[in-house]
Amino acid sequence: METMRLYLRVMKLSILQQVTYRTALLAGLATNFFFGLLRAAVLLALFQVQPVVNGMTQAEGLTFVAFSQALIAFLFIFGTYDVMNTVYTGSIGADLARPMDLFFYWMARDFGASLVNLVIRGVVLVAVFSVFYPVVMPATIGQWGVGLVSLLLGWGVNYAFRFLVNLTAFWTPDARGIGRAAYTMLMMFSGFLMPMRLYPDWFSRLVALTPFPSTFNTPMEIFMGLLKGPEVIPALITQVGWLVALWLLARVVLRRGLSKLVIQGG
Amino acid sequence: MTAIISVRDLRKTFRVLVRRPGLGGSIANLFAPHYRSVQAVEGVSFSLQAGELVGYLGPNGAGKSTTIKVLTGLLVPTGGEVRVDGQVPWEKRERYVKGIGVVFGNRPTLWWDLPVIDSLELLQPMYDIPAERFRYNLVEFKRMLELDEFINTPVRSLSLGQRMRADLCAALLHEPKLLFLDEPTIGLDVVAKEQIRRFVLDINHRRGVTVLLTTHDLTDVERLCERVMILDHGKLLYDGTLAALNGRFESAWTLKVDFEEEYPDVSVAGLPAPQRVGRQALYLFNHRELNTAELVQQLMARFQVVDLEVRRPPLEETIRRIYAEQLLTK
Ligand SMILES: Nc1ncnc2c1ncn2[C@@H]1O[C@H](COP(=O)(O)OP(=O)(O)OP(=O)(O)O)[C@@H](O)[C@H]1O
Ligand SMILES: [Mg+2]
Repeated sequence: METMRLYLRVMKLSILQQVTYRTALLAGLATNFFFGLLRAAVLLALFQVQPVVNGMTQAEGLTFVAFSQALIAFLFIFGTYDVMNTVYTGSIGADLARPMDLFFYWMARDFGASLVNLVIRGVVLVAVFSVFYPVVMPATIGQWGVGLVSLLLGWGVNYAFRFLVNLTAFWTPDARGIGRAAYTMLMMFSGFLMPMRLYPDWFSRLVALTPFPSTFNTPMEIFMGLLKGPEVIPALITQVGWLVALWLLARVVLRRGLSKLVIQGG
Repeated sequence: MTAIISVRDLRKTFRVLVRRPGLGGSIANLFAPHYRSVQAVEGVSFSLQAGELVGYLGPNGAGKSTTIKVLTGLLVPTGGEVRVDGQVPWEKRERYVKGIGVVFGNRPTLWWDLPVIDSLELLQPMYDIPAERFRYNLVEFKRMLELDEFINTPVRSLSLGQRMRADLCAALLHEPKLLFLDEPTIGLDVVAKEQIRRFVLDINHRRGVTVLLTTHDLTDVERLCERVMILDHGKLLYDGTLAALNGRFESAWTLKVDFEEEYPDVSVAGLPAPQRVGRQALYLFNHRELNTAELVQQLMARFQVVDLEVRRPPLEETIRRIYAEQLLTK
């Protein structure tokens, strides 16, 4: 119980901290918005030529752009390097001198920041986008609900993946390079660029074997109504499966890493 | 009495990647990494009784921080046995660190962008501190460390001395039995240093907290520690009272004497000729061979003396000689 209270408190501090970065938040929002406009303009040009591009109608295409741009910051699509930085500066020592679990501590921190990003960079972006473009919102409360559950699961899968990437810093001084490669994969295979089902069949089948679509593609397809009714169930189960698998893996790797970690500095 | 900290034959060896220069070197590093080992701590043994306040000294690179990291559960040693308060620090880290406090002088532990109080309040659920104890301790530490003036300021805008006071508070709110301080006064001005020393003394005396402290500031040592341990190149060279260390290694003391008149010859048998300025003379003497009282008596018997002053060399000087001339390894 007390543990729960601790991590909720960490989350609260993280929210407060994130809110202090007002300028960064607004700059981020502007960037996401700008690239959203760019992606929308490209799509609109394509739709002039044909009514259905990649199996999506114009409205669906624009909806996809709006939601994916809105979720960049919530899901840290471009990756995070915080934990590896604490390893390289040695400030991880201060965290380890406290009675807390590194995995849940960073999860609470990240989630707090994500919530702020969701509201300020996500909701605002979709709202403004809907003024200019025909963004299609989920039709029913049920669809919203399932979409949000899926989004949370996706967040969890994504967090565990990012945490694992950061943990490589325990073994190599070049974890940043690993991070860049890993996050490029995350961006390509998560369906951030376009929904997985629109890629060539062999490609989406292959990618479906990885955890990446569970981070972004699944909630996105639910929000867009591409995935509905009974099809949702196996998609959610896959997400839960990856969540459990990656969480367990992250915890095992963390335990291993801590036993050989060398705290720098002093 | 049983020891609260016992360390036996502690060893820590680091493997350091030797980077070869140039492009060819980089490729070689990748495929055939070449490691060199650094023996940071080589067979150190000591123990501390509950309630002691011990200085852990040694020149740069001696292995002090490495030892502290092992004792605080942050580093798994290469060999040796460590028991702190009945536990092995690195085995059940989370449980172990609940009972200790740690301050690394060169490393902030509080949330950088948030007011100090936010970080402090996080500690209550973290250590499961009863709300009342927490309030009580916070009030007391705020008073002793004068935190009120900046408790609502973001940590990022604090001065070094303010941050160190906040860090000390954060290390003690959960009432640990043991406190590890790695250079707590580094970079602070004399006033801030003194405030920190008074605080450390106080929690050691009144709360009975056992303290192990590393520092390069020998005033810290003189003010705080009865017992010191001296480490060099990973080996423990001295473990004993500060008084005994001074007794063994202090260089010559100085006796300054003001005479009534300018006597032609004021030299003392067995001592080098004193330095003289007018009616004043400075005698250098080895206090191990000639005690001060004898010397004074001799002088008083022969001359009219107006004023006397004995000066001991500063600890700084003694320690410098120990390091530089490697007095302890001989
Ligand atoms: N992470 C590390 N990797 C490799 N070598 C290390 C590492 N940490 C410490 N060392 C080496 O171990 C030795 C002891 O270092 P340590 O930090 O314990 O010294 P120290 O006594 O705290 O010195 P200082 O007074 O300068 O803080 C040094 O030779 C140092 O170079
Ligand atoms: Mg050190």
